[in-house]
Amino acid sequence: MLKKSWINLLLIFLPLLAGAAELILINIFAQAVPPFMVTADFGVFAFVFGMTIRNLGIVAFMMGLFITGLLLIFYNRALRRQESTQSLIENAKQDAEQGRRRFLRRLDHEIKNPLTGLRAALVNMQEVQTGVDRQRAVDNASNAVERLTRLLTDLRKLSDLGERPIELWQVDVPDLLQDVVDAAHVLPAYKGREVNLLIPKVPSPFPMITGDRDLLVLAVYNLVENALKFTCETDSVEIRVLEDGRAILIEVADSGVGIPVEDVSKIFEELYRGSNARTTEGSGLGLALVHRIIQLHGGQITVRSSQEDPRGTVFTIHLPVSKKKITLLPSS
Amino acid sequence: MRPGLFLPSTFLTMLPDRSTLLLADDDPTIADSLAPFLERAGFHVLVVSDGVNALEKAQTHHPELIILDVLMPRMDGRETLRRLRKAKIWTPTILLTQVGEASERALALEEGADDYLNKPFDPHELLARIRAVLRRVRPGERSLSAAWLLTAKDLSLDRRARRATLSGKTVELTPKALAVLEYLMTHPDEAVTRERLLEAVWGWEYPAGTRTVDTRMAELRRALDDDPADPHFIETIPGEGYRFIASVHGEG
Repeated sequence: MLKKSWINLLLIFLPLLAGAAELILINIFAQAVPPFMVTADFGVFAFVFGMTIRNLGIVAFMMGLFITGLLLIFYNRALRRQESTQSLIENAKQDAEQGRRRFLRRLDHEIKNPLTGLRAALVNMQEVQTGVDRQRAVDNASNAVERLTRLLTDLRKLSDLGERPIELWQVDVPDLLQDVVDAAHVLPAYKGREVNLLIPKVPSPFPMITGDRDLLVLAVYNLVENALKFTCETDSVEIRVLEDGRAILIEVADSGVGIPVEDVSKIFEELYRGSNARTTEGSGLGLALVHRIIQLHGGQITVRSSQEDPRGTVFTIHLPVSKKKITLLPSS
Repeated sequence: MRPGLFLPSTFLTMLPDRSTLLLADDDPTIADSLAPFLERAGFHVLVVSDGVNALEKAQTHHPELIILDVLMPRMDGRETLRRLRKAKIWTPTILLTQVGEASERALALEEGADDYLNKPFDPHELLARIRAVLRRVRPGERSLSAAWLLTAKDLSLDRRARRATLSGKTVELTPKALAVLEYLMTHPDEAVTRERLLEAVWGWEYPAGTRTVDTRMAELRRALDDDPADPHFIETIPGEGYRFIASVHGEG
């Protein structure tokens, strides 16, 4: 760690002081100084340029001045570089702190609502007379508990993802996507809907990727669930996959209302709710989970969305193609 | 839920001698709600709020089953269980883990817990676990959950080395499939639902959950050369889940 200290300054000015001292000494003892009193370097210098001992003193002083100047420049530059890294670290710290506060604020909000509902339901349970009202209170209480449980489960998933290493095995992407579509059938939003799955016939077999199949299923499933949630029956939802030899590209597209421009950059944040997602069910952690999973696989996720025609939202996942050719997971 | 299943009278006829449970949880709201629930289910429940008391009560009152919370003051659930096993007390134990972390669940097995449940859980789920454990465990005997080496026919599973061998040859398995095998082998002859496997092995629910389990099961069966139509090890129970049918022997 570089610091502005007297010692450093002294070290920087030492060549200059030494040069000055030599100049003074040579001037005082002009004739008396035997050649060995000046350094070997200067001796050679003097010899080459045919200088007198007196001139040598001036040269020593100039050299000292030059070296000190150089040191000053380097010192200054190093200090400035250090300051800029420090300010970067400082900014990152501030960002993290801000993010943490934002997360807590959102968490508070997410917990507050079901908890309020739960308290009201408990009061109702104690006070209502008829069986029907009582059942309604019980249902409301269960709903609130359900919401809190889902929030907690997703929070745990997020923290788990940060802590445990992911499984790395060969994953067959088309097979995985088929699983996602099959799993999505049970969603209430799937009723009367169709998810279009587009899988190329060539190349065959489709290139494998290396990763944790279960986590990748979760990621794509979350995107499909989102797509179904924010679209209506007349809209289409599509999953497509492509490859270019190096990466596999998975897209989940829908022709729904689209995401407002001001929300697009924030939707992967934990517990962020876009303006058209405020009233929709969900923990607010789904997309954050997707983002984390894709990152853990060395991939990228991007989103493009439009609220005007041609309207719709497309999430694009890039995952690197696995280099190994072996298959260890069964393709069911 | 079948009607009338949780009426006390049904249970009293099912369990004529009221089994004693030791419930150790430092959170009074949990203990105060769970204890009456379990009492209604026909058990006699002893409640303690820390590990030291749990250890003491386990030795003096000889409960049929112990339910231990992991995070407790004075002595945590894990340490309590370790000491119990060290003292050769093989009372079946269910650990209530707080964190769904995979390592925590692996540890629960390492310390010889017979089962574990992630908080927050449905009390009915706890009840089902208690029943299953009580059915499986023979009193006073060391349970399979505390054994390091499990063998069934020519299949053996070294839990410490995380390796399975079939007729002496190593079976190539993904870590998840191995964990599934471990769970099934420590719960032989028990109908294990896909949801149960998901919670025990994956730690959290997956949306494509049941299919996820089936995929691993297919992998496991292929590796073990086990024909689903005529299984030697893993049987499918339609509409329910799976059952490990070979008899399992535990060592070490």
